[in-house]
Amino acid sequence: MNANAEMIDPVIFERKGTRLTRSQVEAFGAEIQALRDQVMADRGARDARYIRRVVRAQKGFEVAGRGLLFLGVLPPAWLAGTALLSLSKILENMEIGHNVMHAQWDWLGDPALDSSTYDWDNTCPAEQWKHSHNYMHHTYTNVVGKDRDVGYGIMRMSDEQRWNPIYLFQPVYNWVLAGLFQWGVALHDLEVEKVLKGEKSWSEYRRQRRLIMKKVRKQVAKDYLLFPLLAGPFAPWVLAGNLSANLIRNLWSYLIIFCGHFTEDAQMFTEQEIENESRGQWYLRQLLGSSNLEGGPIFHILSGNLSHQIEHHLFPDMPSNRYKEVAPKVREIAERYGLNYNSGRLGRQFGTVLKRIHRLALPGRKADLASA
Amino acid sequence: MISIPSTEKRWARRLGNALATPFTPEDYLALFNPLHSARETRARVRQVVRETDRAVTLQLQPNRLWRGHRAGQHVLLGVEINGVRRQRCFSLSSAPSDPYPCVSIKANGQGGVSDHLVRHARAGDLLVLGEASGDFVLPGPAPERLLLVSAGSGLTPVHSIAKELLASNQELNLVWFHFERRYQDLMLASSLRDLSADPRLDLRVVLSGEPPRAGDLQGRLDEHWLTEQQVDAEERTLLTCGPAGFLDTVIGWHQRHGRAPLLHERFQAAPVSAGHGGRVVFARSGGEMRTDGSVSLLEAAEQAGLKPQHGCRMGICHTCKCQVKRGRVRDLNSGESRELNNEAIRICIHAAEGDVEMDL
Repeated sequence: MNANAEMIDPVIFERKGTRLTRSQVEAFGAEIQALRDQVMADRGARDARYIRRVVRAQKGFEVAGRGLLFLGVLPPAWLAGTALLSLSKILENMEIGHNVMHAQWDWLGDPALDSSTYDWDNTCPAEQWKHSHNYMHHTYTNVVGKDRDVGYGIMRMSDEQRWNPIYLFQPVYNWVLAGLFQWGVALHDLEVEKVLKGEKSWSEYRRQRRLIMKKVRKQVAKDYLLFPLLAGPFAPWVLAGNLSANLIRNLWSYLIIFCGHFTEDAQMFTEQEIENESRGQWYLRQLLGSSNLEGGPIFHILSGNLSHQIEHHLFPDMPSNRYKEVAPKVREIAERYGLNYNSGRLGRQFGTVLKRIHRLALPGRKADLASA
Repeated sequence: MISIPSTEKRWARRLGNALATPFTPEDYLALFNPLHSARETRARVRQVVRETDRAVTLQLQPNRLWRGHRAGQHVLLGVEINGVRRQRCFSLSSAPSDPYPCVSIKANGQGGVSDHLVRHARAGDLLVLGEASGDFVLPGPAPERLLLVSAGSGLTPVHSIAKELLASNQELNLVWFHFERRYQDLMLASSLRDLSADPRLDLRVVLSGEPPRAGDLQGRLDEHWLTEQQVDAEERTLLTCGPAGFLDTVIGWHQRHGRAPLLHERFQAAPVSAGHGGRVVFARSGGEMRTDGSVSLLEAAEQAGLKPQHGCRMGICHTCKCQVKRGRVRDLNSGESRELNNEAIRICIHAAEGDVEMDL
């Protein structure tokens, strides 16, 4: 390419052997946008039926699970009850709550599935989550220093983050976070580190803490007080079942969410890189910063279709049942532009997440290690 | 009709809510009967009465959130069409004292809620009801001498009022002219026959498209019609409902001749102006401004000194969703132009196209 052409159509993206000019990035973005427009125009009765069936199934699992736990003194009933309640909580948090609050179902006009009023069954208040997740994380995906989901303020998940001795312990507290994931998500929004640095006011912090405590009280009262009390002498079995269901949900959502952006090939970005970012560049960053999980239809539903993390990040408000349909098309477009479409089975992807957590616990950067 | 719940009921309610948090017990009861909801009044269609080849009356069985209605009021009716809930206002045609509320609906050929219900409504279907509202109601005690003038679908609220009045044993002298093209277009015909048996009502159907039966009339409404037909028309309290042009004629006649109060019901609001860019009115803060077609409603609000909630400013995060009371907007991404009526949109990617009133 001569200098003249370079000026008219400069290379604006260069990573891992792929070079794209401005017009190529915009063409890529236009293709992704066209895909979105096509699906969004086609939403209809089939999608409505899908989400209503999921809601019905979830509510049914919830009632059946809690019912069986009252008979929890019988081991098969306890196991089945706990399994159904876990299933209900996973479906509600992942395929229903997360996606409803992304406004994927606002077009139905159903107040029960509307992003502005929905609240989900865990300790994190919907209003805060919509800010930190829908806005901060989805707009600034994998931009170190902007997207607080990069390490959630407590872990070093990118070479760009400065090392600190506390990170030596992250291979251990990673598992604590996994087990207490709903609590991590709730406290995440308080942005304690910003308050300490003076970037956020104490009054705002206190307001949010009040909201969190209000929700926490209700959630704790339901699972750990009222349902056990209602069971009378069988309270211990109900309590154990509820604790287990919340734990299982926590571990599962942790697993799915960590595989979304922290796999080995998921790319991180700097604040300089996103200055004056175009729509095409934004799509590019969403594609490269996310990673997919492969599996069967049940696996996809239980992951809230976040197994299609790439499609979710390109189209956060597209109904989740459509991701599997657009995925092959997104993959085809990505490959045509020489871009990595990061996809693999859960075991392999999570293996690379653990590798990242362990590698970045130590000081230094990947480049330094490579040259060492 | 608000019943005061007993202490036990209140405690049961609180316990139910605490056990179902963050949902409501009704969300679970809906598993067994979809009529249950703590959020909205839902109604099951009990019966579909085919009124004409283009009109039906739906008899509704609402859930316990339904608070009843006054004669002449309307209700926002929601129905799912191709997955999406669509809403439209209908006057209730039943009298409040009837056992079940009814709406009578005429297909209008626009492919919307009316057409859908006329064609597809079946007994057992689930609908969503808003709260009954509207000022087309008689102040109590009702005046003795009334003149009712209706046309087409305007029949429905007038029918509700007439039926309610005649259900009482009050002294009444009702004269009712209802304008229709042909008998086969007439809704609620059997009920009208029953009402006509009451000597306190003098009902005349006025036809424009075929010869009338004995007792009915032929013709069209004009500015002299009422004076010519009814000697004491000016003295009677006038209730009227019908299409816009028809209403204008009646109201015009009343302004010149009427000496008693007038009550009228308009089905469609006057159309708003459309074009590129427009005037944005902020209903809550009181300001307004002119914008051109490229300025998003979010930017317009910010230029007006407001600070609406927002996030990505590119249409993905939905943080900026805000109610547009009415007006036409253009989607800056797709270029699509849409008329809105109390609908929430992402204001960062919509611009005004004509007059837009926002809930900001």
